[in-house]
Amino acid sequence: MVNPVFDVCVVGSGAGGGTLGAHLAQKGLQVAVVEGGPPVNTHTDFNTHALPFEYANRSIPTMKRGKPGFDSERTRGVGGKTMLWNAVALRFSHRDLKGYSIDGAGADWPIDYPDLAPYYDRIESEIGVCGNRDELEDLPDGIFLPPPPLKIGDLLLQRGARELDIPIIHTRKATLTRATRTRPACHYCGNCMAGCDVAAKYNSLDAHMAPALKTGCLTILPNSIVREVVISNENRVTGVRFLHRVTHEEGEVQARCVAVACACVQSVGLLLMSRSRLYPHGLANSSGQLGRHYIPHFNNGVEGFLTERIGAPVVNDEGFIDHAYLPSFMHARKRDYARSFGMQIYTGIRRTTGWPRQVPGFGIEYKQAVKNRFPAYVSFQGFGEMLPNKQSYIELDRSKKDNYGLPRVKVKAVQEENERKIYEELNRTAIAVLQKAGGEVLSISDFHQPIFNHQLGGCRMGNDARTSVVDAFCQTHDVPNLYVVDGSVFPSASEKNPTLTIMALAARTADHIAERFRRREI
Amino acid sequence: METRREALKIIGAVGVTCSFPFSANELYGQHVHQPESQQTPKDESPAPAELRFFTEAQYQLVSRITDLIIPPTDTPGAVGAGVPKYIDRVVSGDSRLQGIFKKGLRRVQSESKSQFGNDFLRLTETQQVDLLHSFSAAADRRTASKRAKTHPTGTFFEAIKNLTADGYYTSRVGLLQELGYNGNTALASFPEFTIPEH
Repeated sequence: MVNPVFDVCVVGSGAGGGTLGAHLAQKGLQVAVVEGGPPVNTHTDFNTHALPFEYANRSIPTMKRGKPGFDSERTRGVGGKTMLWNAVALRFSHRDLKGYSIDGAGADWPIDYPDLAPYYDRIESEIGVCGNRDELEDLPDGIFLPPPPLKIGDLLLQRGARELDIPIIHTRKATLTRATRTRPACHYCGNCMAGCDVAAKYNSLDAHMAPALKTGCLTILPNSIVREVVISNENRVTGVRFLHRVTHEEGEVQARCVAVACACVQSVGLLLMSRSRLYPHGLANSSGQLGRHYIPHFNNGVEGFLTERIGAPVVNDEGFIDHAYLPSFMHARKRDYARSFGMQIYTGIRRTTGWPRQVPGFGIEYKQAVKNRFPAYVSFQGFGEMLPNKQSYIELDRSKKDNYGLPRVKVKAVQEENERKIYEELNRTAIAVLQKAGGEVLSISDFHQPIFNHQLGGCRMGNDARTSVVDAFCQTHDVPNLYVVDGSVFPSASEKNPTLTIMALAARTADHIAERFRRREI
Repeated sequence: METRREALKIIGAVGVTCSFPFSANELYGQHVHQPESQQTPKDESPAPAELRFFTEAQYQLVSRITDLIIPPTDTPGAVGAGVPKYIDRVVSGDSRLQGIFKKGLRRVQSESKSQFGNDFLRLTETQQVDLLHSFSAAADRRTASKRAKTHPTGTFFEAIKNLTADGYYTSRVGLLQELGYNGNTALASFPEFTIPEH
């Protein structure tokens, strides 16, 4: 039997790869989605409803007993990080895409909001995003399902923030608040990030790839850890080589076009591993830009208690974790730094409570203090935009190999002065809102113990092939039939959660690739 | 393991569903990741079946201190929730904690003898609480100002209090009975809340 030659081979099955693969298959192209991790069934495989005391070490394992998956960055599972994400789905605005033109720092995207808007529309219509239309300049509205009500704690914080003229809005999440034909509505169990067992929360398998399988054009190849993208002497990629996750056997997929979508850091790693005569320093890296401009989000955190809620009766207000969001508002104010920040706001009860450690004292008073504060706990998790700098990059560590003999991918992220200013503003803002709402501060995170989240950058998108890796359609400048479709292409990070934008880019790239096939360019 | 680290960083992130970036990171002695097969579910019996790290004498001392930190009231205290056994498990997998506990427990006994002329377990409850107060105050000072000089008793008390809090509030007794956690259920819709306008 002759191995088939696919039209497109997509490496990775998460928000980028899953969306791209499904969209291409729906357009009739023959697509292979190659995923390093095992098949995962969100309905049966995750410990969604476990409680900590069911485990002697009180740590709830991600997967149920005997179910493989999510044990390394290379072997997560079909659906990738969308299986375990928190589903915050925000549109980028003109300011996010043209930051360099506006404040002179970082880099502009080569596209602007009108280029993305129709794709945001399409993705939101496909997957279901709930939210409120807030008419904010910095956070464009979308096509929304109704949001769930704010929690009591959110309302108290919102009231306090209003006195400071700071907006607190309903968060926007790719979680269904109304049932669709194929997926039920959220049941507010609060365990979204443990894997949603009904797929009310978006994951790329149930919402994008499963419907696309019905076209007969989509093939999902799980357990296949891609170690190389193969390139011909004619400067065309011809497919990928992989290792089987369990047997370590070699395999190959041939395709007319390859799209790399392995969640940013691993995408850069794969391209760096794919060395050839044409590209001795990594595929599509003739510019030497691959791995540079790594710009993950940095987080702060402020915890505290709302006085009005101390000693209140416990109500089940877990909801879908965070219901409220403090959007970027600083653009309109005087400030001495570039870019901005946003904050996710967590109130309500949770099945894991780490904060009693920090309540002072011990004994009966301590026990009572913790009990009284259980319904009063709030935490702010801020997201700041990091500017690119020379110290922050992704590279291979060839001295350290994983179980598959593949070099480890190393990331380095260093916060500089602009990040420090944003960080301090984040802490100040959270504390001010909490105090206006009538609350006490429990803990404030420290800039010198950095926390990063949302891997972004490394395959910068741009118009100039000397300073970027991919063009405005995620096509690599070097190789005409090679694409990169994930957070690595972001030239600037915004402070907004990136996943909805990754999906919009994937949908836009799918249109572009399909059009090139139609014109017989590929 | 990168996946778990990432998860913990996100608030509310994955695996362990804690929703904030700092205390979640250090919660549950995360460095000890036993395969699930080695775990005994519902491990809350107050009687120590088999100790992993502590001697019997150390275990008695640890048990008493945890019950002074979270005493029985109308709900069981730390011992009633199986916390000492949880601590034995976590400490057995962490050499840094082993050093802190060995030194700290010796220090509790030596302070007890020098201040009250007796073994800690033979003191009256008032004497035991008095002794722990000095330890606790040092720990709270340290927590309040992370840059404060590490005080040896503060370090030990911080460790045993952290593990007691973790173990208790993640136990069936602590989470369900004491805190009254009633989530993790399927709701038809999310309730509408209101607050008075100012």
